[in-house]
Amino acid sequence: MPEIAIRTQRLTRRFGNLTAVDGVDLQVAAGQFFGFLGPNGAGKSTTIKMLTGLLAPTAGSMDLLGLDFATHPVEVKRQIGVVPEGMGLLERLTGSEYLQFVGRMYGLDRRMTQQRANELLDFMQLADRPKTLIADYSHGMQKKLALAAAVIHGPRILFLDEPFEGVDALAAGVLKALLGRMTERGTTIFLTSHVLEIVERLCSHVAIIHKGRLVAQGSLEELRADISGEAGSKTTLEQVFLSIVGQDGTERPRLEELSWLM
Amino acid sequence: MADVASPIGILTQVRVVAGLRWRILRNGLRKKASRFDLLGLILLGVFSGFFVVGLCVAFFTGAYAFLSEGRFGLFGLLFWCIFLFWQLFPIFAAGFGASFEFRSMLRFPLNLTAFYVIGLAYGLADFSAVASVCWLASMTLGAAAARPGVLPAMLLVAALFLLLNVTLERLVGSWLERLLSRRRTRELFFALFILAMVSLNLIEPTMRHYGGLLGPLALRIIPYFAWLPPALAGRAIAAAAEARFGWLVLGSAGLFVYAAVFSVFLWRRFASQYRGEELSETAAPVPAAARALAKPADSSDRLSALSPQVATVVRKEFRYLTRNTFSFFTLIMPPVMVLIFGTMFAGKHPASEHPVSPEMLFPGIMAYLVLILMGPAYNCFAFEGRGIQTYFMAPLHFRDIFLGKNLMLLSVLGVETVLSLVMLAWLLGLPSLPVFLATMAAIVFAVVGQLSIANWSSVTFPRKLEFGQIRGQRQSGMAVLLAFAAQIVFGGVSAVVLFSGRWTGNRWFPAEAFTLLAAAAVGGYFASLDSMSRLAEEKKEVLIEALCR
Repeated sequence: MPEIAIRTQRLTRRFGNLTAVDGVDLQVAAGQFFGFLGPNGAGKSTTIKMLTGLLAPTAGSMDLLGLDFATHPVEVKRQIGVVPEGMGLLERLTGSEYLQFVGRMYGLDRRMTQQRANELLDFMQLADRPKTLIADYSHGMQKKLALAAAVIHGPRILFLDEPFEGVDALAAGVLKALLGRMTERGTTIFLTSHVLEIVERLCSHVAIIHKGRLVAQGSLEELRADISGEAGSKTTLEQVFLSIVGQDGTERPRLEELSWLM
Repeated sequence: MADVASPIGILTQVRVVAGLRWRILRNGLRKKASRFDLLGLILLGVFSGFFVVGLCVAFFTGAYAFLSEGRFGLFGLLFWCIFLFWQLFPIFAAGFGASFEFRSMLRFPLNLTAFYVIGLAYGLADFSAVASVCWLASMTLGAAAARPGVLPAMLLVAALFLLLNVTLERLVGSWLERLLSRRRTRELFFALFILAMVSLNLIEPTMRHYGGLLGPLALRIIPYFAWLPPALAGRAIAAAAEARFGWLVLGSAGLFVYAAVFSVFLWRRFASQYRGEELSETAAPVPAAARALAKPADSSDRLSALSPQVATVVRKEFRYLTRNTFSFFTLIMPPVMVLIFGTMFAGKHPASEHPVSPEMLFPGIMAYLVLILMGPAYNCFAFEGRGIQTYFMAPLHFRDIFLGKNLMLLSVLGVETVLSLVMLAWLLGLPSLPVFLATMAAIVFAVVGQLSIANWSSVTFPRKLEFGQIRGQRQSGMAVLLAFAAQIVFGGVSAVVLFSGRWTGNRWFPAEAFTLLAAAAVGGYFASLDSMSRLAEEKKEVLIEALCR
């Protein structure tokens, strides 16, 4: 029985009358590269915010690495790394200063923080402008720095909210290499992305959320088999996603309505 | 084939833009916190209305009186008042302006002429322009009531004066925008502005010392002012009243030339913007060959007495302070003002004849220092932006964040207090020991006592402020009110304690009372930290939403 890294039970978040996340039961085994998919407004970011302590659930519970988030928030946060939506960078620090700030906040000693910050900056190709403020970084550089900050303390679970959005192919390659190495060494990665090709290439397991509810969960093979009805199917993740999310017939806008554009 | 959008008239575009401005204002008021701002706006509107209407009466009366009593030469003064207000008010009010970027209109299909006209229309929608147009209209009515024959000339001159002013104001505004788009020039501009404000204190002594020399110099310069737009407008109206049509034509032509020259410059500025002028200050990437590894930082830890998290927050706050020149200047200002007050009240200022005793001045100036420096603490997360999420993702209790931020503020206050103490000791001498100790204990009481309230205010009424910007920056209304109320309460308690020493005749009573109050404040502060930490956790969504916009 594999160790469970993330387990949610009836996880719910309401904003007034809107239920953004509705009774989600997630289970992610340790060491998995887990893709969390859903259309816009499905509840992906809300879920990831709750799992990382940026948003309090209205109901339900979350266990990370066997610890209840509600009762052990600090212990849980010590073991996770996050690249949140919008990256959460302190933009008036330099890249090096920010990494040292984050490392120290996670309790690393000064020497280790400094060493890791330098290594990460070098790996991410951000070491060439030591005096440049983060505010003056390009979007891709900020993404790489946010990832560096999320891993500086060696987290056991890494949460990534759209890590490849706005990142060029070169930088994406660097990020993927790092993430691949981390999963090999047992880190659990929980990733949301709109780019299904990336999820298909990187993730071993996937969950799909739609209108706040979890509508599918399992390994890629299991989901493909569920859709095609046969094991070892060549169905793409996009086909799986569209067949699950588009089942109620309301998802596909009719192009005929935009005849003036044709 | 898709339909192609058909061109629409400039007036329609102006109307669409006006609608956009209105919707931005209306949608901004949907949040509960913004309704307090609406209350402030209504109050401001009422006061502004009284101001404008009151001066409308004054301008009407002035124009009527000058023309009916034959004092034509004074008519120019009215134009000078409008001119100075129209041109200077927008500069002083830059900090309160809307954060809407007029240049963002460029993404729409506007030709340069439409862009120019919309730009001028924007200028006419400013408070200074609306008020000035009202006053010009009042002047026109006043002049027509006094001498109906002057009305055509007045209408012509007022129209030219209006065009000239709106063009010049937009020109100055666009040049300022260009200047302020770069952080360093923005900060330099702000520094010069502050220095100019401070130097106003020097006018009086300068006049006392050099008044004899400045008088004749001013008399030599004043004739040249006669060729500036407000004087030309005044002379044109005076000429019309005296039926000297040559001077009327000359004055009107002068105004037209000014308006034309300003229009040419403004057209060129707008044309640069229209072509896509780059105002960004982001540096170009450094070539790979120039890459060098980041230098290792100093490994000795001067803050080792603190927990790593608190020390890290203090260090980060220090870096933010040194990089935010506006905040840095606001820290420099109090000692500068202490120097000015000290000089003035110590009898060393040229305008001062009666020196004030250090027994009174010392506590007063220290109270001023606390008053000024505590303000930002009531919205202490203002400059974090999206970085606020880092605090909530990190494995720590929020009390560490408060401790770090509060320690940084106390350090700044400590340095400023010592600096001011040295200056006052040099200028005035120190007060007696009981007053000195009472003042020091009062500072601890007032500052530490306010910190708990300030921390509560910071998590409950946060408002994002843009780093290094003046325009479009507005403090959290509730935080300002809270700071004001707290300062009144703490100031009131301190005043009662200080004066009770006099009433009871016990010179040591204030020092003893303030020591007790300071101890209570320190105890209360540490007792509040955990509940503040819990509150921050409860309010994290408010904080993140307010600061991550």
